[in-house]
Amino acid sequence: MDHSTSKSCTNANHDDKSLLHWTQWQLLDSVLPTGGFAHSFGLESALQSNLIKQPEDLKPFIIQVLDNTGSLLLPFVHTLNKSPDTETWTRLDNLLEATLTNEIARKASATQGSALLRVAASVFREITELKLIRERFIGSGLVFFHHACVFGLLTGLLGFDGRMAQRAYIFMTMRDVLSAATRLNVVGPIAASVLQHEIASAAEGIVEKWRDRNVEDACQTNPLLDTVQGCHAYLFSRLFCS
Amino acid sequence: MAETETTSGVVTVEKVRGRSTITRCFFKYPLKLILPKKVGSSQVDAVWIYALSYGGGIVSGDQISCKISVGDGCTASVTTQASTKVYKSVDSKCSEQVLEAIIGNEAFLVLIPDPVTCFSTARYSQKQNFRIFSGSNLVVVDWITSGRYQSGERWDFTSYKSTNCIYLDNDRPIFIDSVLLEQSLVCDIAERMQCYQVIAMVILLGPKLKNLQNQIKEEVKKMMTVKLRPPTTNFGRYAKSEAQHDRFVPDLIASCSTFGPQGIGSVIRVTATTTEAVYAFLRTHLSSLEMFLGAPPYCQSGI
Repeated sequence: MDHSTSKSCTNANHDDKSLLHWTQWQLLDSVLPTGGFAHSFGLESALQSNLIKQPEDLKPFIIQVLDNTGSLLLPFVHTLNKSPDTETWTRLDNLLEATLTNEIARKASATQGSALLRVAASVFREITELKLIRERFIGSGLVFFHHACVFGLLTGLLGFDGRMAQRAYIFMTMRDVLSAATRLNVVGPIAASVLQHEIASAAEGIVEKWRDRNVEDACQTNPLLDTVQGCHAYLFSRLFCS
Repeated sequence: MAETETTSGVVTVEKVRGRSTITRCFFKYPLKLILPKKVGSSQVDAVWIYALSYGGGIVSGDQISCKISVGDGCTASVTTQASTKVYKSVDSKCSEQVLEAIIGNEAFLVLIPDPVTCFSTARYSQKQNFRIFSGSNLVVVDWITSGRYQSGERWDFTSYKSTNCIYLDNDRPIFIDSVLLEQSLVCDIAERMQCYQVIAMVILLGPKLKNLQNQIKEEVKKMMTVKLRPPTTNFGRYAKSEAQHDRFVPDLIASCSTFGPQGIGSVIRVTATTTEAVYAFLRTHLSSLEMFLGAPPYCQSGI
């Protein structure tokens, strides 16, 4: 896989490293149409189970979601970022399908991953592998397009370094849970932004703790949240898909 | 799994004159296996295996590894006499249990132990690998309590890890679940678990369990739909409503997910504030296994 394909499409006056910043920011911008905002990461279910009773409960909830994302999903992001090839991707995608035993989380992951790949294939046209992979595997039943795997593959093909990719994954999760919290009226938008800044240090600690691990070591650290998230389908009235 | 010097137990179940029979049973310290002849009705073809640890518990540094083979068409149930206690870790040593199980076609393995209870500062890890075929049937209950919680020891152990893996046709992973509860700076275990003292996982897989899977799925959905209600509009930035604070957390939460190709398996996760509540859940929802085992699970336990 040729990581420098971006050169052919860029203005010769800018170096790759500078342009990579623009790509990184675009990928993390919530304006990218990947449908992340249909998912609450178990927040809606936690609210209806009364596990979150007041706004102060939100901060520990988010930190626990990030910790679980780190322990379970960063190994997939890391391994594919290092080896963004089709063989590794199909193998890890199938492994993640078996690892996401929570049906709600599994479906959300496949939906988000498909959306991300579709957008990425359109936006980063210079990376022809993305379009080829999509065409080859869509509808084949051979892969499930899980989000963490697509993200790892994409960042690998784009040339993000491993730590950046893993930090980005945790950042996106935090961004999306906070967005869900505002829409569920747990906190207002300014309070959510305050929280985002307050959690940054814990989030960085989580990246440090769980980065660069093998997929064989992937594990979940919060069975209570897992159980509660699994109840999402039982909610009579709901705003989110998960 | 190759048998080595560290293998603590081996059980082989095969059909002999048309009946499930234990044709090999080996065990050594720290594992002890008891094979009672009459557990359930003799009309039902099933063997029962009780796994015990000497002294009623697992001591720091114990390494227990066991292999079970359930031959085509056979039924075997593995259980315990009491909860497995894991004692405190000495010199930071970790205790470990490993189970390798092979379940043949139309065979049925039922693992229905009492829960694991880790005492303060304990370090424990368990790994269970199940190799199945499309016609195999499997029930696995894997659960843990927070400790001697009535004495105030709640989620006070250092580290607990439980991994359950199911492989179809030798090498295709269809269920890989690993739960790690470790004290950490991010969040200690007690804070993570809130008021809940028990977590349990029930795996149901195979053609013989199709009806039970559907039944439990409906029962869990019915039970939980009642317990979950949208918060009042006064939540959050507006005035704190008294009604909101009066709502208690459910004393038991359960959710059910399917997994595997064509959804051959179901996994139910349960968490509760008391061990008795989970025993009652298991007794109720697994009672129909009596027709396969000759006796219903958890009827003598936890009462």
